[in-house]
Amino acid sequence: MGVASITNACTHLQNATRAHLGLTSIPNTKYNLRLALALHRAGLLSSVTRGGPRPPPPEALLSAETEPVTSANVATRRLWVGLKYWNNEPVVRNVSLVSKPSRLVTATLPELAKVARGFPVGPLKGLNLGETMFVSTDRGVLEVREALERKVGGLVLCRVS
Amino acid sequence: MSVARPAARRLVSGRLAAVPGATCAATASISSPCHQLFAHQFHSSPQLSARRRPRFANVRAADMGLMDEKQIEQFTKEQFPKYTREEMDHLRTKYSPQQMAALEAGEAAIDTRDLTVQGRLRVDPYAMPYIDDFAETQPIIDKRARNKEAPDPLAKFMDMDDFTEDIVRWADKFREGDVTGTLKTPVDFVPDNFKNTPEGQWPGVVREEAHKAFQNYLEAEVNKQALAVKSDGKDADDSDGPTDADVLQYLLERSGMTDNGRTTNSSLAPALPNKVPGVSGLYKNAIDPDDKGKDDIGVYQDLKKRTGLSVHEILRLNTKRLVVRFVANQTRLGKVGKSSVMYVAGNGDGWLGIGEAKSTEPMIASLKARLLAIRNMRPIRRYENRTIHGTVEAKVSGTIVKMSARPPGFGLRVSHRIFFMCRAAGITDLAANIPRSRNPMNTVKAAYKALCTQPDPEEMAIGRGKKLVDVRKVYYGGAVY
Repeated sequence: MGVASITNACTHLQNATRAHLGLTSIPNTKYNLRLALALHRAGLLSSVTRGGPRPPPPEALLSAETEPVTSANVATRRLWVGLKYWNNEPVVRNVSLVSKPSRLVTATLPELAKVARGFPVGPLKGLNLGETMFVSTDRGVLEVREALERKVGGLVLCRVS
Repeated sequence: MSVARPAARRLVSGRLAAVPGATCAATASISSPCHQLFAHQFHSSPQLSARRRPRFANVRAADMGLMDEKQIEQFTKEQFPKYTREEMDHLRTKYSPQQMAALEAGEAAIDTRDLTVQGRLRVDPYAMPYIDDFAETQPIIDKRARNKEAPDPLAKFMDMDDFTEDIVRWADKFREGDVTGTLKTPVDFVPDNFKNTPEGQWPGVVREEAHKAFQNYLEAEVNKQALAVKSDGKDADDSDGPTDADVLQYLLERSGMTDNGRTTNSSLAPALPNKVPGVSGLYKNAIDPDDKGKDDIGVYQDLKKRTGLSVHEILRLNTKRLVVRFVANQTRLGKVGKSSVMYVAGNGDGWLGIGEAKSTEPMIASLKARLLAIRNMRPIRRYENRTIHGTVEAKVSGTIVKMSARPPGFGLRVSHRIFFMCRAAGITDLAANIPRSRNPMNTVKAAYKALCTQPDPEEMAIGRGKKLVDVRKVYYGGAVY
């Protein structure tokens, strides 16, 4: 899987959260969906909903029922993600890319463990206070601590703080 | 009816409410009955699911017997009795007839039944004692009574003539022998044609005779008074004249000014009559007994009011001059030099402030900067009261200061200005570097900015909805030092 859509999605999320938007959308790809769900698990997004070109109504954001994806409407599907704010400050402040299409950065399990404890490894800087990192593994897109729990390394996608 | 335009919806539903049948049909088909979408939520508190209802049923006043006329009357009689005849007589001894008339009119104006039915007489311990005859002044409520006149603005210190007059007036109070001033003078012993001419113009013979006669008169007067004292059987010292106490009182209490010893409420001497331009207000004495003589010049008085700190506490704060520059304003008359000073102040326990001031006088600039630094003190977030939270970076102009938390015992591996800031704030473990410009003033500003913009882990955890545990405080019972 190429990380081009991930890079675009990350940049867009950072722009949207700095603009204090409540809801934004990213293209509906499997990779994006997995990253969005990982962000949601980490408490960085308030909701992830699959919808059409128009934003879903607020009450439908948290409901499980969505329009089924068919070959007729698949091209128009988007992922609508709710952004979080606390005390007038965005919960997500920086989304910085680690891997980019021209240079993929991978980390083995021991490397990830070091980074998670705040020590730099190769091109990866140690994680700072409140910073998280998302890793694409063969168990899906995981937050770095989830990856450590499951003892897998993988492709480092982005760091969020 | 759209969700996006709730105002319109409310209008419509309000209008439909007049026709109940139509409303039910319309609303049931369009909006879900289970929850109501309010127009806007301007606050973050959760919505109530239903209208709030009181926990207890309403008890009517009639059921409690409060509306019973008989009881009302009895209560009124007990609580608000009329003045008895004896009480009125007693009041008459205290008040003038006009006041009594006003009192009676006031009594008549208030219906005691109204007081029972509508009035709320408070009996709780916090009730204000409003029922008052104003016989006493209460310092908390009342203004200070000024029952004495203001000082005489025209009073001046006595000169010799005033003083003589004053002492004669004082001596006259005692009335021993002839009243002073009623004794005869040499003028009384000259012929009538010389009475209106001054003594210097009397012919020599006339003057001598007059003086001789005056001397005889005085001796006779003295003898007469001595005889009078003897016949009274009193000692001369025991007379009605001024006693030692009177003399002492004269010396100590008699006013030295021409205000006839008028007493006022003020123990201060009357001020200068008018404001002297250029001087007024400059010589205010700002001594506060709480300062215990530590601030006789009044430098810290304003700061005391602003910060609520005592002078003792202000003087104990850790302050340090971090930057001094000499700046100049180029005018057509030449350069006007000033010194620009930056101070840092902290209490060594998490409070830090910086102050910046300029003045032509270096001392004044320093003082101003120090006071400003103390005024600007604010709490700095610290981790374990020794270091900061995580890594922070702040940029002021071309200067970037990067600070990182460090383990206990690491010390302050920072540049000298940041070192003093850390010491003032009570930070003992820190690493900092200044990768770019090292302008002194901007370094201090950026370091302060960095310390002030540390992330708060608790807030972050709340934002993400996660539970946060500091692992250092978990292992070994938190004894990790």
